[in-house]
Amino acid sequence: MSPLLDQILVAASVGAALGWFAWRFFRRRARGKACASDCGCGTKKPLG
Amino acid sequence: MRAAAPAREVARHVAIAGNPNCGKSTIFNTLTGLRQKVGNYPGVTVEKKTGRFFGSHGEPMELLDLPGSYSLQVRSPDEAVARDVLLGRQADVPRPDVIICVVDASNLERNLYLVAQMLELQIPAVVALNMADVAEKNGVVIDLMGLREKLGVPVIPMVATKGVGFIELRQAVSRSPLPPPAICAQMPIVLEREVMALARSLQVAPEVARGEALLLLTLHDQALEEVAHHERPVIVATLEAQKRLRLAGFDPLSAPVEARYEWIGEVCGAALHKGSVLDAHSITDRLDAVLTHRVWGWLAFLGMMTLMFFCIFTVAQTPMDWLDGACTAFAGWVGAHLPESDVRSLLTDGVIAGVGRVVVFLPQILILYFFLGILEDTGYMARAAFIMDRLMSRVGLHGKSFIPMLSSFACAIPGIMATRTIENRKDRLVTILVAPLMSCSARLPVYALMIAVLIPGASGLAKAGIMLCMYLIGIIAAFAMAWFFKTRILKGETPMLLLEMPPYRMPAFRGVAIRMWERAGLFLRRAGTVILALSILLWALATYPKPADEHASPAEALAHSVAGRMGHLIEPAIAPLGYDWKIGIGLIGSFAAREVFVSTMSIVYNVETKGKEDIEPLRDTMIAEKRADGSPVFTPLVCIGLMVFYVLAMQCISTVAIVRRETNSWRWPLVQIAYMTLLAWIGAFIVYQGGRLLGFQ
Repeated sequence: MSPLLDQILVAASVGAALGWFAWRFFRRRARGKACASDCGCGTKKPLG
Repeated sequence: MRAAAPAREVARHVAIAGNPNCGKSTIFNTLTGLRQKVGNYPGVTVEKKTGRFFGSHGEPMELLDLPGSYSLQVRSPDEAVARDVLLGRQADVPRPDVIICVVDASNLERNLYLVAQMLELQIPAVVALNMADVAEKNGVVIDLMGLREKLGVPVIPMVATKGVGFIELRQAVSRSPLPPPAICAQMPIVLEREVMALARSLQVAPEVARGEALLLLTLHDQALEEVAHHERPVIVATLEAQKRLRLAGFDPLSAPVEARYEWIGEVCGAALHKGSVLDAHSITDRLDAVLTHRVWGWLAFLGMMTLMFFCIFTVAQTPMDWLDGACTAFAGWVGAHLPESDVRSLLTDGVIAGVGRVVVFLPQILILYFFLGILEDTGYMARAAFIMDRLMSRVGLHGKSFIPMLSSFACAIPGIMATRTIENRKDRLVTILVAPLMSCSARLPVYALMIAVLIPGASGLAKAGIMLCMYLIGIIAAFAMAWFFKTRILKGETPMLLLEMPPYRMPAFRGVAIRMWERAGLFLRRAGTVILALSILLWALATYPKPADEHASPAEALAHSVAGRMGHLIEPAIAPLGYDWKIGIGLIGSFAAREVFVSTMSIVYNVETKGKEDIEPLRDTMIAEKRADGSPVFTPLVCIGLMVFYVLAMQCISTVAIVRRETNSWRWPLVQIAYMTLLAWIGAFIVYQGGRLLGFQ
């Protein structure tokens, strides 16, 4: 595998992971989901 | 599920209300097809939940499941939700068009009090007489026609768990027009005059004015001063009305209650016939004689916990071996098909090692949820709270606090939400502060890994014993910290425990299986999202920057990486606990979620042993790990210390978020993170240094 392709794939993976966290944060904020877990409690209530 | 009423058109807004543990959520789930949590103990629902269902003519209806309440005179935050919705005080929820009053047929007399109050609200109502089969088994005969006549509203006999009565319930709710109740408890004339006068002065909808006025008149002075939803002149008018009633020889606080009980007496006299005693009760009584006994109760509790952990280690072992083998084979296949590169390392040492090593613990988590589901469904949870109350009252905690703590064995988040059933604010806060000390399912992979490293070849019973000790350490620490908070910071009297003991029931295995299925889905979703993303980032942190020397060993490369430097940075703080910098990476990596410790250790050791052809099981790698002087890193004291650290440390960002929401401040979550981290450090320090002083390794 070419070293350039190798580094591009790694950078894309890391960028996707970081981007996913950012997207999740802003989506939850926009939806006002307060229960920040995947516990299954079903709570969706505005923060504050 | 949604909490706010949607804007779309629905024919009717229907609310389900009733006493705790009478089957409201079961009816809600059957009507809407949703899967809200149900359990055989009071206080499972603490927040309103909405869903949609269709009436008997196909008309869409919005259904609102309210938390259980014994009356509209509220004592706890969850009861306030029900009252506020029924009185139309909540801005985001319209006042219901119909109330389904769910009544436990085997406890008709007690359940009718709330019905009496709901009939006073002048909202069309349908009484769902649930658990008709239990009542029949208990020898209780209810004259349905008599009850309908006395209540003046439709009464539908139901067995919600078996799907009986839903057709009739849909028909009753869909009936058009559905008139408001014509009958309610008659108040004394003097009282009624004051109620109507006060109702006229209230700036609320005319149909709720009488109900509001009655609630105001039954408040004592201090509670009246705390009322925030009425203007000051209304409070003054209420106080004057109360004074006039006292002069007329009526106690305004007890007169409406007495009038309702008198009415309930008349209703029951006409419609309720109790037969002989009852097998179900005698079985419950006989079981309770053992399970709530001062000595046998504790032994039964410990026995059940031991059995649960024994099954977790023995029954889960085979599927865990399969999953582990599949992970190793997959990593080997990827390694064989990709050339030597960073991408290959990312996939094998990062993604597969990180996600795969956590997914391996799925069978153990499912067994934990199987046992918790059985204990909840049978009604044992309330008994566990009862036997714990003796201990909890000594540390100043309310016995009701143990239900949220028991819920925290699954996850601290529903546990913290369940504290809404606690009336006293300080008791609620103390319970929120200590609930995360109970060992949740996310700690299970950490305990299981460390126990496997500590005693690799030991029997399932020995492993279960260590696991039980960790759970007990969590319970003892929670009690000790509750005592500290109650005696130092949040002082207050210990209230008496008033807890309804539900009868024992056969667990609904379908419901338990559905919950296990849902948990499996949530766990795998979490592994495929949060843990996957964290694994990629942790791998990058453990790989970059690379050392300038191309011939540096993998261990030197790891030490040179960002993760290695972070581990070295915190090493002085954790060295007294016997941890090296690589364990430090694990502690940092798992700050947001405990189970990520397993992923992090897997990534760290895989990155470090890069170049080996076979990927060893993490347990074997950790057992073989040596310090610079050749001594093993994971000695028994380090393993036990690490488990104790994870028992006591917060390490869960989701819990921090929910504590912030429930306390409406950042102060308490920050206090919680600080005290739990300090407690974890002290606990691990005592284990390691104390053990060494005693001559252990």
